[in-house]
Amino acid sequence: MGTLLNYPQLSFIHRYAMRDISRSYKKLWVISTTLFISLLLLSLTFSIKQSMNEEIQANSKELLGGDIQINSGIEPLSTNTLERLAQLGQISEMIELGTMLTKQGDTPVFTQLRVVDSQYPLYGVMKTTPKDAAQKLFLSEAKPIVLINENIQNQLQLNVGDDVTIMGQNFAVGGVISSVPDIAQSAVFGEFAIINKAQFDKFNLKTGGSFLHNHYRLKISPDKTTEGIINEIESLFTGDKTVETRLPKDSVQSLRSAIDNFSNFLNLVAVSAMIIAGIGISNTLLSFVNQRNISIAVKKSLGFSSKVIQLIYFYEIILILILTSILAYFIGVLSPILANSLIPQAYGIELQPTFSILSYLNIAFIGLLVVLIFSIPSLYSINSIKAVALFRNTFQPVSLHFSTKNIFYLVILIAVLVCYFVLQTQQQFFTLVYFFAFFATIFIFYGVSRLLIFFLKRSFSFSNNSYKIAYRNIVAKKSLAPIMTISLGIGLTLLLTISFVANNLKTEISQSIPSIAPDVFFVSINKDEKNDLENLIRKLDPEVELEFMPMAGASFISINGIPIETIVSPDNRSSWIVQGDRRISWLEKPSEDNPIVKGEWWEPGITDQMFISMDSRAAFDLGMEIGDKITLNILGRDVTGVVKNFRKVDYRDISINFAIIINQAFANKLPFEYVGTLKSNFSTDEIQSKVVKEFPNISAIKIDRILSKVSEVLNKIFIAVTGISLVVIVIGLIVIVSAVLVQTTFRKYNNLIYKILGVNFPTILKAMTLEFVIIYLTLVFFAITVAVVGSYFVVENTLGLDWTFDSTLTLWIVLATAVVAFILIVIANKNIFSPKVYPLIRNE
Amino acid sequence: MVFEEMSAAIEFSNVSLEYGLGNELIKVLKCISFSVNSDETVSIVGPSGSGKTSIIMLAAGLEKSTDGSIKIYDQEITNLKENDLSQIRRQNIGIVFQSFYLIPNLTAIENVLLSLEANQKYDLDNEAKELLGEFGLSHRINHLPSELSGGEQQRVAIARALINKPKIILADEPTGNLDGENSKIMMKLLLDYTKKSKTSLVLVTHDTSLAQRCDRIIELNDGNIA
Ligand SMILES: Nc1ncnc2c1ncn2[C@@H]1O[C@H](COP(=O)(O)OP(=O)(O)OP(=O)(O)O)[C@@H](O)[C@H]1O
Ligand SMILES: [Mg+2]
Repeated sequence: MGTLLNYPQLSFIHRYAMRDISRSYKKLWVISTTLFISLLLLSLTFSIKQSMNEEIQANSKELLGGDIQINSGIEPLSTNTLERLAQLGQISEMIELGTMLTKQGDTPVFTQLRVVDSQYPLYGVMKTTPKDAAQKLFLSEAKPIVLINENIQNQLQLNVGDDVTIMGQNFAVGGVISSVPDIAQSAVFGEFAIINKAQFDKFNLKTGGSFLHNHYRLKISPDKTTEGIINEIESLFTGDKTVETRLPKDSVQSLRSAIDNFSNFLNLVAVSAMIIAGIGISNTLLSFVNQRNISIAVKKSLGFSSKVIQLIYFYEIILILILTSILAYFIGVLSPILANSLIPQAYGIELQPTFSILSYLNIAFIGLLVVLIFSIPSLYSINSIKAVALFRNTFQPVSLHFSTKNIFYLVILIAVLVCYFVLQTQQQFFTLVYFFAFFATIFIFYGVSRLLIFFLKRSFSFSNNSYKIAYRNIVAKKSLAPIMTISLGIGLTLLLTISFVANNLKTEISQSIPSIAPDVFFVSINKDEKNDLENLIRKLDPEVELEFMPMAGASFISINGIPIETIVSPDNRSSWIVQGDRRISWLEKPSEDNPIVKGEWWEPGITDQMFISMDSRAAFDLGMEIGDKITLNILGRDVTGVVKNFRKVDYRDISINFAIIINQAFANKLPFEYVGTLKSNFSTDEIQSKVVKEFPNISAIKIDRILSKVSEVLNKIFIAVTGISLVVIVIGLIVIVSAVLVQTTFRKYNNLIYKILGVNFPTILKAMTLEFVIIYLTLVFFAITVAVVGSYFVVENTLGLDWTFDSTLTLWIVLATAVVAFILIVIANKNIFSPKVYPLIRNE
Repeated sequence: MVFEEMSAAIEFSNVSLEYGLGNELIKVLKCISFSVNSDETVSIVGPSGSGKTSIIMLAAGLEKSTDGSIKIYDQEITNLKENDLSQIRRQNIGIVFQSFYLIPNLTAIENVLLSLEANQKYDLDNEAKELLGEFGLSHRINHLPSELSGGEQQRVAIARALINKPKIILADEPTGNLDGENSKIMMKLLLDYTKKSKTSLVLVTHDTSLAQRCDRIIELNDGNIA
């Protein structure tokens, strides 16, 4: 490394760099903006993720609603057990169920009903308007009271004091809930209401409703050790498959992994932005070095070593990095305040901005690595500027410098960056694959440019002046074609990939309201009620399409004798199938909507053995094979059956789809209820009202409400994705500008000479166009290919959708990018329109 | 014997310089030898393409000779690495180019200071001002090169070469871009300085009247000393 730098030398470098920045800051804007935008993106994602996690951590007890939660499913815990629990601390009972809430003369609303006792909530507070509504709930007034959430209020235009009917019983609206602490337990988007458990018992509403669950929460007495009690309770229920215990850390697990997944995605976008910004930095630096060609040569003639000159420029970039990263960090830190206003109040989340030197250093370190990686090849090009040029008056443009030593440094730095980043994320494998794909893409485009030069050299040349100039520019020894190809290629590829993914998401949204879907879903239809219900509906609309399926509750115990918890991790995509209560159904013949993809249907009529048909994707995710032995707990009894086949289930059609279907002959003995779907040209509101009036226990769920909610969520995702891709596009464009800038410094002189020699303007313009068209056409094919592969991977594997290709969209993006990039090139080369000889003579 | 101990500032012994151009081998310098004493001014003349500039580049350590030995104050420089060459250059040699080559975004004084800063000499603004004053540029100290005339630019360039008190000055047609009047001013500045500080000067020029003002003339012809 040569001699060490001393203090006066460092201070000289500092002063020189400061002077240089202040005199040529205009030339550094590309580096500053790209670095700033990408660092900001990084800082935003880190900061939001951190404050969300902190908020959730701080509130994990409130989110669970107690120190421990015990779920006993449909059956309540025995009085015995409850008494034992009561000795350990304060206990709060809750029943959750789905039911219809009706306002006289209005359409009923399917509601998530929470039945709570006066202990509720054990942690945190329930916020209502009017403020005292929560207390009123537990006063034993003549008329029972219900608290509703805003969604119900809006749909039914309810006011405090209005009457509503729930399961045939009249309630008065006592107030509107704005938030409850244990929101993690319920659907945030849906309609929900709270009633008093004493009244629920008094009017004996237990028989109604659907999806009924009993929950118990315990606040452990302060005089007892939490850990001991928790162990005691857990051992109390071991072996009892129907009871499940949850701790505060479990309650936040799903929320946290959702946040992690989203922030992982954002992180990847941010790091792509960083790397693209890196390419921009590399280009800008190179053009910077070339613009200072003479200055660098003069410094060398004065006896400055390359190292000192490199240090000056490197120092300038580091200063820019420090400034932009500090700015980006502070904006990022303050972003939770902005996020607070965007998060619905019902979540009860209040994010706090947290300053920490460590998280600043985290961002600055990633920025430093990227800057190092991308400035090394540019700065080392200084080595190849020779002072000799001052005697000969010829300044060869220099290009990125890759020596063995450089490559060695680069490999190490890239490895550090990748490891550092991957270690911070949850889905490490995907992140690794992503990085690999990204760097592979860079290499692909480098290869493409080499290929282009190779083929151009071999193809015969046209005797056209413009072509000759273009040809010479591309195949020249220090051609710009590789840099142009890589920058444009990466930019275009990213643009295409993100657009493809976003487009697939959008298609998904517009297709999520399919014509085949039913209008209304009926659940909790009693076996004996089914015929009456069917008659009633058919009387209202003889043309109606009506379908009923039997249904029973079951839970997953094991695959081939191995307990399911040990096989399936909570972040498995299909873990929902094996968690908690599942509903299963049965069929004797395969359904047309669910084609069998593997295995065979079963022999009908076998009553003493259970056969299982699984959703093919779930089977894949859970690692099941045909012939596996699966144990289900059906109504408290463990039953083992054999997997016979996998079906392709499309949950989007919202007809009655079950992940698990068993053979009818075996299921005939089980107690069950029905679910039904209905599709009618008749007013479904009217059918729904009549049904709910006649059968207060049946819940009728209108599909369009669910769908509109689903599409609301998807739309938000779409907007977020579009917004993020916009940032990437902006950075991509800046990079393209930087590539053009590199060109400009190279070309200025050449164009001037051409002009002086009398090559006319149209010829130069034609040559420029031709050169661009040749490079762009070559890279388009590869950009589309990489984008197709990348987006296919994301859409099919990560989002779990069916990938489709949109050729019109592709064409538009390819054309638009071409036009924008070319206009930028022309603007950047505008000096060819009026070449000024003056600055060249005046030594500017 | 005091005189024998006194070493030559520059010593070329059997130096050759060749460039390979495709299959062709261009012999630029053909085994030339000469030396320049430490207080001697020497001019190099010869037709275009005879290798004058090449000699300057070799002496400055900016070009590698194909063969032979080049010594600067007895130190062999032909086998040195770039860093060591940089050091010899900044400590011993001042270069003046035909096309001045001032750094465009530095002012006159900053351009001059740069050559001190290369030697890690800082905060010598007064000396730089003084020298620029001697060169009649006191009123142009804070001007950018683009705001200076050609003659002024060349005087700044010479100040830049001299400020560091080099023992050797190499000048490649320093007057080539100047008119007769400016050429004379320039030549006077250079010769006054070299005489005053006993510095050696190697001056490449086409102008025979300028050449004759040096102590000795070396004539080059087709890579040979005539
Ligand atoms: N890099 C190179 N490759 C091949 N030949 C070169 C190279 N550099 C210089 N030459 C050749 O070396 C010879 C001497 O060049 P040099 O610049 O030393 O001449 P000169 O005497 O300074 O000429 P002038 O008076 O025109 O400046 C020339 O014939 C030139 O063509
Ligand atoms: Mg010459």
